Amino acid sequence: MPFLKFLIPELLLSISTFALLLIGVFIKNSFEIVYRLSIILIMLILLIILTSDIENTKIFNDSFTIDNFSIYSKILILLSSFFILLISKQYISDTKNNKFEYPIIILLSVLGMFIMVSSNDLILFYLGLELQSLGLYVLASIDRDNIKSSEAGLKYFILSALASGLLLYGCSLLYGFSGSTNFEEISRNTGNFNIGTIFGMVFVLVGLAFKVSAVPFHMWTPDVYQGAPTSVTAFFSVVPKVAGIVVLIKFMYLPFRGILDQWQYILVFMSIASMILGSVAAMAQTNIKRLMAYSSIGHIGYAIAGIAAGTENGFQSTIVYISIYIAMNLGAFGCIFLMRRGGKYIEEIEELSGSSKNHPLMSLSLLIILFSLAGIPPLAGFFAKFYIFMAVIESEMYTLAIIGLVSTVLSAFYYIRIVKVMYFDSPKKPFEKFKNLKIYGSILISCVFLVSFFLYPSIFNQIISNIVVN
Amino acid sequence: MIAHAFFFYFFSLIAIISAIMVIVSRNTVHAVFFLILDFISIACLFIMIGAEFLGMMMLIVYVGAVAVLFLFVVMLMNVTEQKLSWFRGSKKSGHIPTGLVIGSVILLELVVIVGGWKYRDTFSETKFLSFDENFTNTHLIGNVMYTEYIHLFQISGIILLLSMVGAIVLTYRKREGVKKQSYFKQVAREREDSVELVDVEFEKGIKIDD
Repeated sequence: MPFLKFLIPELLLSISTFALLLIGVFIKNSFEIVYRLSIILIMLILLIILTSDIENTKIFNDSFTIDNFSIYSKILILLSSFFILLISKQYISDTKNNKFEYPIIILLSVLGMFIMVSSNDLILFYLGLELQSLGLYVLASIDRDNIKSSEAGLKYFILSALASGLLLYGCSLLYGFSGSTNFEEISRNTGNFNIGTIFGMVFVLVGLAFKVSAVPFHMWTPDVYQGAPTSVTAFFSVVPKVAGIVVLIKFMYLPFRGILDQWQYILVFMSIASMILGSVAAMAQTNIKRLMAYSSIGHIGYAIAGIAAGTENGFQSTIVYISIYIAMNLGAFGCIFLMRRGGKYIEEIEELSGSSKNHPLMSLSLLIILFSLAGIPPLAGFFAKFYIFMAVIESEMYTLAIIGLVSTVLSAFYYIRIVKVMYFDSPKKPFEKFKNLKIYGSILISCVFLVSFFLYPSIFNQIISNIVVN
Repeated sequence: MIAHAFFFYFFSLIAIISAIMVIVSRNTVHAVFFLILDFISIACLFIMIGAEFLGMMMLIVYVGAVAVLFLFVVMLMNVTEQKLSWFRGSKKSGHIPTGLVIGSVILLELVVIVGGWKYRDTFSETKFLSFDENFTNTHLIGNVMYTEYIHLFQISGIILLLSMVGAIVLTYRKREGVKKQSYFKQVAREREDSVELVDVEFEKGIKIDD
C-alpha cells in the first residue's frame, strides 16, 4: 500500500494515542508519564512532518489531500498544541485536573483537526470535525466538580450539536444538488447560480462560523471560555481556531469558488459584526478569560475579512494573521497562568493592578503581547492586520477596511486599559513566585517573535506564497 | 408513479408532523412516542427508495435505542402516580390516548407498506438508487465500506473510542473505602499468612493486635 507513507503523521498519532491510553489504564497515577509522552509524541510528529518532502497528492479516492496548505496548517496545529501542553501542565496539576485522559483527549482532538485540514470530501471533513469537537466538549467540562465548568461543557455541547446539525443539512443539500461529496466535484457541478447549492452553502457557513465563533454565532464563546479551566481555554482559543479558519478557507475557495459573489457579502457581514462586537463588548469585561473570549471573536473577524476579500492574497493574509494570532495568544495565556496567589489562580483584571512593581518582567511581556494584540507598530500584530487590510483594499472593499480600522482603534482601548492597570494603579499583593521554566520560556519565545518580527516581516510570505487552494 | 407519490407524501407528512410533535409536546413520554413514530416513518421512506438495509438498520438501531431511552425516562420520572388514571381517577393522563393514536398510526403505516408491496413494479421504475439487481443492499454496502470508505470507517471507530473515554472521564469517580475482592490475593494466600499458633499461658490469655 504505497499511499500509507502519506499517512504517517495521522497513523503515528492515532496508534501512539491508543498506546498512551493503555499505559494510562494499566499504570497507576500515570498523569505525569502520559503527559510527558504526549508532548514528546507531538514533537516527534512535528519532526516527521518537517523532514518529509512534500508531494502534492490525493489519496482515498481524492478525499484526503496532502499539499502545502494542509502541511502548513498541521505544523501550526502541532506547534500550538505543543506550547499549550507545555504551559498548562502546572495549572492542571494545581487544580487537581490531573487525569491521564486529559492529554489523550487533546491528542485525539488534534487527530480530528488533522483530518479536517486534509479533507477534500464532505464526509471525511464532517468526521474530522466531530472527532475534534467531541474532544472539546469533554475538555470543557473536565473540571466536573466546578459548576461553571459543567455549565460550559453542556452549553458548548448543545449549541455545537445544533451547529453540526445545520452543517450536516447544508452538506446534504450540497450532495443532493451537485451529486458528489468531493470538494472539486462540487465546485465543478455548481459553477452557475443554483438555489439549492446556495442554501447548502449558507448552512455550511453557519456551522463553520459557529466553530470559529464568528458573530452572530458567537454566543457560547464568553461563557465557555470563562467556565472551562484556563488550560482548556488556552487550547480552545488557539488550536481549534486554526483548524476552523483553514477549513473555512478550503470551503470558500474549493467547493464554493464558483459562487463567490454569493458568499462574499455574508462573510463581509460576519467580519464587520465580529470586529465591532469583539471590540465593544470586551470593554466592560472584568474577567480576563472573558476578555480573551471577546478578543478572539474580534480577531476572527479580521481573519474572516481576509477570506472575504476573495483573492489569493486575501486568504494568504488570513493564514499569516492566524499564525501571528497563535503566537500572541500563547504568550497571553502564559501570563495568565502566572497569576496565582495563595495556591489559587486569579482571573480578575483588577488583581493585576500595579504588577509592574512586583513583577516587572511579566508585566513587560504582557505589555508587549497586549500591544501586539491591539495592532500597534512595530509589533507583529500590526503586520498581521496590515496584510489583511492590504488584501481587503486591493479587492476594493473600502467599507470593510474602514470599519476594520475603526474597530482596531476601539479594541486598542481595552488592551491598553490592562496596561494602565498594570503600570499606573496602586500595587496589590504580589503573585506567588513560580519556578516554571516552561512557562517563562514560552512567554519569552512569544515576545521575541512579536518584537523581532518587523526585522524580517516577509518571513511568512515565502512559505505562504506556495500555498494555493486547489 | 402516482402510487409512489402517494406513499412518499404519506410517510413524509407523518415524519414531519411527528418531528414537530417531538419538540412541542411538554410530556417527555409523549415526545418519545413521537420520536419512535418519526423513525419508523423515515425507515419506510428508506425502504421505498430501495434501501431496505438502511431502513431496517434505522428500525433496529434507533427504535431499539429509543426503547432504552424510554426505559430511562420511565425510571427517572415519577410515572407511578399516573398509572391507569386515564380509566379511573380524577387526574387525567395523556399517556394512553397518545400511545393509542401513535400505535394506530404505526399500524396504518405497516398496512400501507405491506399493501404497497403490490405496487413494487411501479416503485422500481422510479427507484433513485441505481445498483446491480443481482446483489443485495447489504452486500453492496459491505463492498464499499471496507474498501473505498475504509478510512471513514476507521475514523468513526476512533470517534466512538473518544466518546467512551469522554463518558468515563466525566462520570467515573473513585470511591474511598470500597472493599474489592481480589482473586489473586485470595488464591495465593497460604495458611502461614493468616493463621498463627500461640501457646496460651494458663490464666493469662493473649492479646491479639488490631
